[in-house]
Amino acid sequence: MTIDHASAVFDVVAELLTQLTGDTDVLGIEITPDTTFHEDLQLESIDLVTFASILAEHFGADVNLAEYLAEKDLDDVIGLTVGDIARFVGERTCPR
Amino acid sequence: MSQEPVAIVGMGVFLPGASTVDQYWRNVVGGVDAVTEIPAHRRDPAFHGHDGTAPDRTHGRRGGFAPEFIEFDPVAHGVPPTSLEGTEPDQLTALAVAVHAVDDAGGLGRLGDPERIGVVLGRGGYLSPGLRGFDQRVRTVRQITRTVGELLPSAGPDVLDRLRTALLEPLGEFRPETAAGLVPNLAAARVANRLDLGGPAYTVDAACASSLVAVDHAIGELTRRRCDVVLAGGAHQTHDDTLWSLFTQLGALSPSQRISPLSREADGMLIGEGTALVVLKRLADARRDGDRVYAVVRGSGTSSDGRGASLLSPSVAGQTLALRRAWEGRDPAEIGLLEAHGTATPAGDAAELTTVADVFGQAGGTRSVIGSVKSMIGHTLPTAGVAGLVKVALALHHGVLPPTLHCADPNPLLDKTRFRVLAEAEEWGALPRVGAVNAFGFGGVNAHVVLEAGVDAAPKRRVRVDEPERVLRLAANTPEELLARLDRPGEGDGDGLCRIGIVGPDERKLATARKVLAKVAATGKPWHGGGDVWCSVDPLLPSGKIAFVHPGLEDGAEPRIDDVAAHFGLDRPQWSTATVLDRATSVSATGLVLDQALRRLAIRPDALAGHSVGEWTAMQAAGMYRAAPDLPARYWPDGFELPDADYLVLGCPVERVTELLPDDLVVSHENAAKQTIVCGPPESVAKFAETCRGTGIVARTLPFRSGFHTPLMRPYLAPFARLAADLDLREPTLPVWSATTARPYPAEPDAVRELYLVHLIRPVRFRALTEALHDAGFRAFVQVGAGQLGSYVTDTLGERRHLVVAAASGTRPGLAQLRRVATALWVEGGSPDFEALEPRRIRLTTGNSLLSLGESARGLLDDRALPELPAGVPDAIVAEFTALLTETRQTAADVVAAAARRRVESTVDVSLAAMPYLRDHRFFRQRDGWPDESDFRPVVPATTLVDLACRAAERAWPGTTAVAVRDAVFSRWLIASPAQRVPLSMSREGDDVTVEIGPYALMTVELGTYAPPPSRTAVPGPETEPPLSAAEIYARREMFHGPSYQGLARLTGLGEQHIRGELVVPEAPGGLLDNVGQLLGCWLMATRPDGLLAFPRSIGRLTWHGPEPAPGTRLECLVRVRLPRPDVLEMTAELARDGRVLASVEGWRDVRFPCDRAAHRVYAFPAENLLAERRDDGSVTVTDRWPTVAARDIYAGIYLSASERAEFAAVPPRRQRGWLLERIAAKDAVRARLAEPVYPAEIRVHADGRVSGRGRALPGFAVTVDLTGDTATARLRSTP
Repeated sequence: MTIDHASAVFDVVAELLTQLTGDTDVLGIEITPDTTFHEDLQLESIDLVTFASILAEHFGADVNLAEYLAEKDLDDVIGLTVGDIARFVGERTCPR
Repeated sequence: MSQEPVAIVGMGVFLPGASTVDQYWRNVVGGVDAVTEIPAHRRDPAFHGHDGTAPDRTHGRRGGFAPEFIEFDPVAHGVPPTSLEGTEPDQLTALAVAVHAVDDAGGLGRLGDPERIGVVLGRGGYLSPGLRGFDQRVRTVRQITRTVGELLPSAGPDVLDRLRTALLEPLGEFRPETAAGLVPNLAAARVANRLDLGGPAYTVDAACASSLVAVDHAIGELTRRRCDVVLAGGAHQTHDDTLWSLFTQLGALSPSQRISPLSREADGMLIGEGTALVVLKRLADARRDGDRVYAVVRGSGTSSDGRGASLLSPSVAGQTLALRRAWEGRDPAEIGLLEAHGTATPAGDAAELTTVADVFGQAGGTRSVIGSVKSMIGHTLPTAGVAGLVKVALALHHGVLPPTLHCADPNPLLDKTRFRVLAEAEEWGALPRVGAVNAFGFGGVNAHVVLEAGVDAAPKRRVRVDEPERVLRLAANTPEELLARLDRPGEGDGDGLCRIGIVGPDERKLATARKVLAKVAATGKPWHGGGDVWCSVDPLLPSGKIAFVHPGLEDGAEPRIDDVAAHFGLDRPQWSTATVLDRATSVSATGLVLDQALRRLAIRPDALAGHSVGEWTAMQAAGMYRAAPDLPARYWPDGFELPDADYLVLGCPVERVTELLPDDLVVSHENAAKQTIVCGPPESVAKFAETCRGTGIVARTLPFRSGFHTPLMRPYLAPFARLAADLDLREPTLPVWSATTARPYPAEPDAVRELYLVHLIRPVRFRALTEALHDAGFRAFVQVGAGQLGSYVTDTLGERRHLVVAAASGTRPGLAQLRRVATALWVEGGSPDFEALEPRRIRLTTGNSLLSLGESARGLLDDRALPELPAGVPDAIVAEFTALLTETRQTAADVVAAAARRRVESTVDVSLAAMPYLRDHRFFRQRDGWPDESDFRPVVPATTLVDLACRAAERAWPGTTAVAVRDAVFSRWLIASPAQRVPLSMSREGDDVTVEIGPYALMTVELGTYAPPPSRTAVPGPETEPPLSAAEIYARREMFHGPSYQGLARLTGLGEQHIRGELVVPEAPGGLLDNVGQLLGCWLMATRPDGLLAFPRSIGRLTWHGPEPAPGTRLECLVRVRLPRPDVLEMTAELARDGRVLASVEGWRDVRFPCDRAAHRVYAFPAENLLAERRDDGSVTVTDRWPTVAARDIYAGIYLSASERAEFAAVPPRRQRGWLLERIAAKDAVRARLAEPVYPAEIRVHADGRVSGRGRALPGFAVTVDLTGDTATARLRSTP
C-alpha cells in the first residue's frame, strides 16, 4: 500500500464519517487517524453497523467491516479509531 | 495477644482549609497555611486581641478554623432539620465525616456485617457550642434578670418577664430533639445510630492524645475480633472563649500569633478545630476483600507519665514508654517519616525532641523526616492525633514526604535526632516506607502509632478537588432572541420555547453553542448533547410523554452512580457480572436507584418499559412487586440454572436474519431497525456468525450465556412459575409496557403472571415497543442506566422527533450525567429541578457570642427615672450618655412610626412543606404510604390560626406583643393539601388588630402588655377518675392528633360539668390551645354517648397573662363545660403554670357532629371497623345517621378517595345523601368479606357495581346495592 493510497483512503473514510455524524463541523472536530468512534464521535456500536454498510456501498463488498470486527473484543471495538478503519479499508482496496 | 496489623481502608476529614481528604492532602503537600484571623462572626472584640492577665480576655487573634459549611444532607441521614440549630456541631461533623470515610472505603455494603462495626472517637470535655448556648438559655438569662432586678428594684415582674423573653428570643425555640444534640457521647453514638451499626460506639477523652487512644481502642476491638471494622478518629468543634482563656492562662498560646513546631522560634500554639476519621479493618480481611489500603498500622503504644513530671508539663520517660511499646519487636531506626506532636511550646518541643532522640537514635545515612501538620491547621486538640495519622497514611500512600511550615531555623535539639524538617515536599526515595505519629496529652497521657505503606498495589487515590459543573440555560421566544442572549450573558435567562442548555460552559463550548444555535435555527431540528450543548426551538415536552426505559443485560462498563447514591442518601448497589444472575441483579438495583434519583429531580415518567430483565426493573419501579433479596435462594435452592446458549448480536433487521437463520437458532431479540439477536447452541451460533460476516453483516457474540426469551427456557420454567404465582402483585403506579406484546401490561393479576412467564420464552420485541410508544405520543426516552438501549430507540425512530438520554454512563460521574439528563429535558420543555443536584450543605453552629437582647425589650428601662448625673462627671462620659439618649429616642421614634401603619396585607403559604406539623393534624386515616395526601385532609387547627394571627400582628408592628384575642370565628376548614396561598389582612385601630385569614377565620388581636393574672378558679364540683389515661386517649385515637399536637400528659379529674388535666406544651404552633380543646373533647367522649366529634367554631376571648411558654413546659388546665344547645359545646378554660394563671379562655364553642361510639371507632380505625351492620344472609346494611351537609362531609372524608369526592361533589345535592349511603354500603360489603383490614378509600366502586382495588389487588367482586329510604343494603355477587 502506498502512502498516497493510504492517505486518499483516509480522506474518503473521514468524509464518509463526516456525512454520517453530520455535526463534526459544528463541534469543530477534525477527524484524524487517532479520532475514536465512541469517545470522540459519540457513536454507538449500532452506528458502526450503519457505517459498515456505507463502506461496503462505497468501496465494494470486499470491504467487509463485519469480518474485521469479528476479531475484536468489546474493548477493542470501544477504542476503535478512524485510523484503524482506514488502514483496514486501505489493505482491502490496495491495487495489487 | 499480639497486635493485629490493621489496614486503613477509608478516611474522611473536616479540618481547617479542607472539607475533603483530597483537599487536605493538597494543602499538606503544598504547604498551605490554613491558620487565619478569627472569622468576624466568631470574634468578640471585647475578648480577643487584648494583652493582660485577666481570664476574660486573650491576646489570641488567630487560629485554625474549619469551614463554615459542611457538605451533609440532614434529611437523607435522618437528622431532623429543625434540630440542627443548637445541636453540638461535633455530632454533625462526626456523622458527616463518618459518611464520607465509609464512602471512601467503598460504602457500607463493602464493610460486612454492620452489627460488627464499632465507632470510637476522641472528644474533649470542653465547653462546646451546644452546651454553651444551653447554659445561656438555662442560666445566663436568669442571671441577667436577677441582676437587673437587683439593680433596679422598681422594674417589677412584668418588666423582668419582658426582659427574659427578649433575652431568650435570639436563642430561638428550644425543641425536645435539640436536647439529644447536647449529650456529649452522641458524637459517636449518633454515627452508630444513623449508619445502623451494632459494634460499641463511644467517645474517649485523653486530651490531645484522644484520637490516637481511640485508634488504639479500635485496634484492640479488631485484635480481639469483637469488631470487623472500626471507625476511629476525633472530633473537636469548639473554639470557645473559655478554651482560649484556658490556654492563655496556661501560657500556651503563641504571642507571635504563629504556630512554629520544632522551630527555634516556637513560642506557643494556636488552636485549631476539626473532625477526622479513619476506617480500620484487619489487614488480612482487607486483603481478602480487595480493599484499597492506604497504610497499615503495625503498632500502637500508650502510656502515662505517672508522677514523672507535673500535671501540665510533659515527661520524657512517659513518652518514651509509649513509643517503645508501639515499636516493640521492630527497629525504630527503620523510620521514614515521623509526625511529631509538635505543640510549638518550648517545653513541649524540647521534651518531645529529647524522647525522639532517645528512641530513634542518631542518623547513620540519609536523615529521616519529622514534621507537624499543626504548623498548617493549628492544634486541633483531641483531633490532633488522627489529623497527623491521616497525613502520614496519605504520605505513605502517595510516596511523598510533606513539608512543615515556619521552621526555617529548627530547634537545636533536632541535631541530636536522626530527623530533619522539610520546607518543601519531597519524593519518599530510599527511606524506609514506615511512618509514625505522636500524640501527647495534658496530664501525661501519651500515644504513638507505627504505620507501613500498604503493600498491595492498590489503585492510588486520584486527587480531585472539583466543584460541580454549572449549567447555563437560556430561553427566548425566537432563535434570534436566543442568540442575542447567548451573546450578552448576564442579561437574565429569559423565557420562551426556544431553549439552549450548556453544561460546564467555557469559551470553547460557548463557541460551539453559537454554531449549534445557527444550525438549529436553520434546520429547525434539535441538537442533543454534542459538545455538551442541547438546543431546541420546538420543544417535545410537555405535549410529548416521557418514558423511562430500563436496560437489560449488556456487555458494557459498570455505570458510575456512587456519587448519585451518596448525594441522595440511597443505598449504593453492588456491581457484579460474575454470573448472569449477578449481572441482572446489578443492572436492576442500579436502575431502581437511578429511577429514584430522577424523580428527586422532578423528572417523572408517563410510563415505564424495559429491555429483557429491565422489564422486571420497570415493574418494580412501578410498584407492581418487590423482589425480596432471598428470591434466588427461595426458588432456586440448588442454584440458579439456565440453558447453555449463546447470543449473537447481528447488525441487520429481523427480516434479513430470518432469511438466513438455520433451524437450530431462534430470534431472541428484535432490538432495533438494524439490530437483531439470535440464540442457540454455541457451536451453531459460531457457525452462523461466520455466515453472516461473510455477507457483510456485523456479528458479535455476547459474553454471557442463557436462553432467556427463547423456547430453550421451557425446561427451566418451573421455579419461575412458582415465583410468578407467589408474586404479591400491586396495581402499577404508572403504566408499564411489555416488550413481549408491545402494549401496556394487563390489569388483571393472573394475566400479569402469565405474561411474566411468556416474557421468558418469547422474543423481546423492543423495536415494536419503541414504535408503539412513539405512536402513543412518547417523545422523550430516558435510559435508566448505562449502555446502548437508547441507541436502539434512535435507530428505530430514525428521523422521527424524539429525545434519547442516558441517566448513567460508564465513564462520566453519575451526578454529572444526571446534570446532562436534566439539561436535555429542560431544553425540550421539561421542568427538572436543577437545585436537587446541588450539594446539600449545612451551616455549623459555632457557638453564640454574648447574648443580645431581642427587639421587643431594647430600651425597656429607658422610661424609668434616670439617675441625675452627679457633678464632676468627665465630659467623655456625659457625651456618651447624651449619645445614648439620642439613640434611644431614635429607636422609640422608629417603633412609633411602625405602629402608625394601619393596614397590612400578606399571604400565608398553607402547605405541608411550610407547616410540616400538620401531618399530625390530619382528619382522616389512610393506609401507610397512601399516595394522595389530600385523602388525609390535613387541616390547620383553629388555634394554629390564632397563633398565626398573633405572630403576624407582632411582625407587622415590631415591638408589640399580642396579649389577647377576641371574637374569633372559624368559618371553614383551612386544608393544607393541596397546598394553597391564603390572603391575610390586618387593620389596626389603636391596640386592636382585626385579622382576616381568607374566608377561613376572622378575629381581633389585642396588642399591649399582659394583664395581671386573676386568682385561680376553684375546682367546680365533685370529681371522679377519668376513664382513660392521657396515653390511652392517643393510643385509642379518642383524639386523632399526632405527636406534634399531643400535649395531654395526665387527666386529673372528671366532673359533671368540668374536666382537669396537665398539659405539656407541644411543638406545633398553637398546639397548647389545641390541647385545651382536646381536653374538652375528652370530657365529651367520657360523658356522652353520641355527638362525639366536635370542632371549634368560635372563641369569645382568649387572654394571656404572660408569654406563651416554650414547648416542653408543663401546665395545669381546668375546663368548665356548658351545653347551650345539644349540638354546641361551650367552655371556659384556665391554664396555669407554677400556680399562676397563664391564660384564660372564655366562650370557646365547639360544634358537635353526629357520631356515636361505633361510628367513632370507624373514624378512629377506619380499616378495622364498618359503619354498616352485617346480616345473616351475608349482606350488610347501613342507615343514614349524618343528616347535615357538614356531617356528610366528614363521613365522605372517611369513605371516599379524592376522585370519588369529586364525583360526590358533582352529584345533585338532593341525590348526595343516597349516593354516599350506597357507596358506604358497597364498600363495607366488600370489607366485610375480606379477611384483612382495608381502608374504604382503597376500594373503588364502579357505576356498574364492579369493585376494584386502588393500590391493592382485590378479588373480582361486584356489588348490588338497594336503597330504601334511609337504609342501604349491599351484597356481593361474583363477576363473570
